[in-house]
Amino acid sequence: MKTLLRRVFLVTFLGGATVALAHHSFAVFFDPERIISVTGKVTEFQFRNPHGEIGLEVQTKDGRTETWLVETNAPSFLRRRGWTRDSVKIGETLTIEGWAARDGKHYMRLRKATRADGTVIGVPLDANFDPEKED
Amino acid sequence: MRSTLGVLALACALALTATVTQAAEKDSANASRASHDSTVRTRAGRPDLSGFWDLSRTQRPDAGLVAKLPANTVLLEDTGATEFPPGEFGGLKVKPDALAAAHRWKPEDDMTVSRACQPPSIVYATQGPFPFEIHQGTDLIVFKYEYFDLVRIIFMDGRPHPPADAPHSKVGHSVGRWEGDELVVDTTHLSAATITNNGLSHSDRVHVVERFKLSPDGGTLMSTMWFEDPEVLENRGARYIEWTRKPGEYVYPYECDPSFGSKYTQAK
Repeated sequence: MKTLLRRVFLVTFLGGATVALAHHSFAVFFDPERIISVTGKVTEFQFRNPHGEIGLEVQTKDGRTETWLVETNAPSFLRRRGWTRDSVKIGETLTIEGWAARDGKHYMRLRKATRADGTVIGVPLDANFDPEKED
Repeated sequence: MRSTLGVLALACALALTATVTQAAEKDSANASRASHDSTVRTRAGRPDLSGFWDLSRTQRPDAGLVAKLPANTVLLEDTGATEFPPGEFGGLKVKPDALAAAHRWKPEDDMTVSRACQPPSIVYATQGPFPFEIHQGTDLIVFKYEYFDLVRIIFMDGRPHPPADAPHSKVGHSVGRWEGDELVVDTTHLSAATITNNGLSHSDRVHVVERFKLSPDGGTLMSTMWFEDPEVLENRGARYIEWTRKPGEYVYPYECDPSFGSKYTQAK
């Protein structure tokens, strides 16, 4: 208890808006040490709680087509980072950077979404966020 | 003689001056502290907790609040985004049946249409990171959480909890009282739900006591949430949670869509 009184908790916010779940545990489903990047055509966009979702049709280097599901943080957090229901359009090409699923599925948690023209949707989570450096 | 009297008079004058100066400094210090205590108060003179509260980036456990936690309590360090991995419960000593159930838990079991929109109870729901609003009256204080649209009523009129067989819910039945400038909230009648979001659940006999305290400038709401559950735990648990007031903001509706629960199983 005394140790805790001297200690300041630095909440792991990962850039001001947490990746923590709305429901299921981030730590259980995603690998916080493995950030991947996937580029594909948007096939669906769900902007609803507990998590938004972006479906991507991804062309692999060997010519195959993979279906990826990208899970976002809760829309209320996305709104506070500049997202809206209209932020993503079916058919547009996005590059999604995020945390890979632990079980190897084509499933990831969004950190940053970038349009084909280079613009970033909303304010991305900072993968390099170091809570020890925050006041 | 004259010189001695003069010295004595001078000494007395100096002593008197020092005393007056010290008193003036003390009054000034008190006035300074008083002027820094800008706590907004209700007409009843209570600290006004009303407003929008967002989880503070930095959590600084308040020594006064922590000292009031009962004996045999472990302070969980998972406020906000931090989550315990499966099998880790932050120092909680779990009874055998509950521990076995926690070990049987599979995370994918929660990723179904029937479970995707099952909210946790306030034991887990309030540890962050979602914001909430407080609407404070004299006989009622309402907490409106963004997370799963949970709404709590804190009865401040001295009523007791209802009988044990009264309905249970994820927000339970809460009665509150003021201890000086601290709001103390006692909650029972919570339905079983997760404690640490990794398979460990409390029973419907869990008992929760929260203490809320405003910072002197009124911008920070500090709290401890303590809980005991003799059916599940050998010891007791608590969390320190601190929020920052953000005027002009509101909670968004959550309106959970259970179809999310089917998505994970579709991924290959």
